[in-house]
Amino acid sequence: MSRRAVRAAGRAGASGRPFALAALLVVQTLCAVFFAADVAADLSWNGLTLHAGFEAVVALALAVGVALGAVEMRRTLERSRRADAAAQAASGAFAALMEERFEAWGLTPAEAEVALFALKGLDVAEIAAVRGAAAGTVRAQLAKVYAKAGVSGRGQLVSSFIEALLDGPLPGARRAAGRPEAAG
Amino acid sequence: MAGAQTDEAAEAVRGPAWDPVVRLTHWGIAAAVLLNGLLTEGGEAAHVWIGWAAFALLALRVVWGFAGPEEARFSAFPPSLSAARGHVSDVLAGRRRTHRSHDPLGALMTYALWSVLAVVVATGIAMEGGPFPEPGEAASVAFVSAATADEVGEEADDDHDEAGEGEEDEALEEVHEAAANLLLILAALHVAGVALESRRFGVNLVGPMIDGRRRGP
Repeated sequence: MSRRAVRAAGRAGASGRPFALAALLVVQTLCAVFFAADVAADLSWNGLTLHAGFEAVVALALAVGVALGAVEMRRTLERSRRADAAAQAASGAFAALMEERFEAWGLTPAEAEVALFALKGLDVAEIAAVRGAAAGTVRAQLAKVYAKAGVSGRGQLVSSFIEALLDGPLPGARRAAGRPEAAG
Repeated sequence: MAGAQTDEAAEAVRGPAWDPVVRLTHWGIAAAVLLNGLLTEGGEAAHVWIGWAAFALLALRVVWGFAGPEEARFSAFPPSLSAARGHVSDVLAGRRRTHRSHDPLGALMTYALWSVLAVVVATGIAMEGGPFPEPGEAASVAFVSAATADEVGEEADDDHDEAGEGEEDEALEEVHEAAANLLLILAALHVAGVALESRRFGVNLVGPMIDGRRRGP
């Protein structure tokens, strides 16, 4: 849910500039076509004059501008798509790190689920409601998670992940960072 | 792992998220076709200007077909009769296959719309000339009121000179009108096709063409 919201927000923020660029490209193309048509008409009526020659150069410059603008536009789009993919990869990398640690700590599937909810900020009552379990059961599972992880409580559990994120590149992030380079 | 796969499949089913250039040219051309097909009169200055604008938008879309991102490029939706036939049998059998750009039938419709539009534009230009009517240019006289034409004797003479080309002009006009009507029919079929595919997949395929964002199923 939240991951989707973050992705949508990122897309909305990035979509403004490409749209303005695209609108500019449309206006440029309109100008180029109207200029080219005018040049063609001038040439057919009056032959090659200084005026028509100058206009032809302007039309050509506009046409080249459109082509270059289109290439620049494609680059902008690809950049914003790559940023989107990187954000997705980062959240994927976090999930990979979590899975790795849960396995290393030897959490049972039920404990892993409880730990995930605890990381997401749910309190004991909420976790119990989500899992349809008694609050006492959840509290016991959480205690086991903290013991296996070697932390004193929820705060330290979260901190241990933050620490890993700040420390250096995540195993998943390195993989994700290599992807755009390989593609581009 | 399984989660990632279903996620990917869902993305593909939702169809491409169209980029701003595709969206602007699409709606610009749609507006131009509707305006010139249903509202403005042939020969009217507005009709000629809108026609030239449609030509410019088509030209930009063609440039974008080579320079644009993957799903906008011609290589992503090559015209193929056999693929279109396969798509028809998919529809009849109720199969839902995913496509990264237009589906094969939609691709054929796209090329049909573009080529018919090109014919309409070409015949229109051949009849009317440039968007800036030059003084003394015969084509401009055609839509200046008769009273004005009488005042400018020279232009009236030009008009007579053009009488010999009347037959050719008439043929052009016939082709222009026939192609324009065909264009409107194809546009209606295109809308029907989008409605059908949206219903089949249970997704709104129009939304991504408006704001560039995919809709969840």
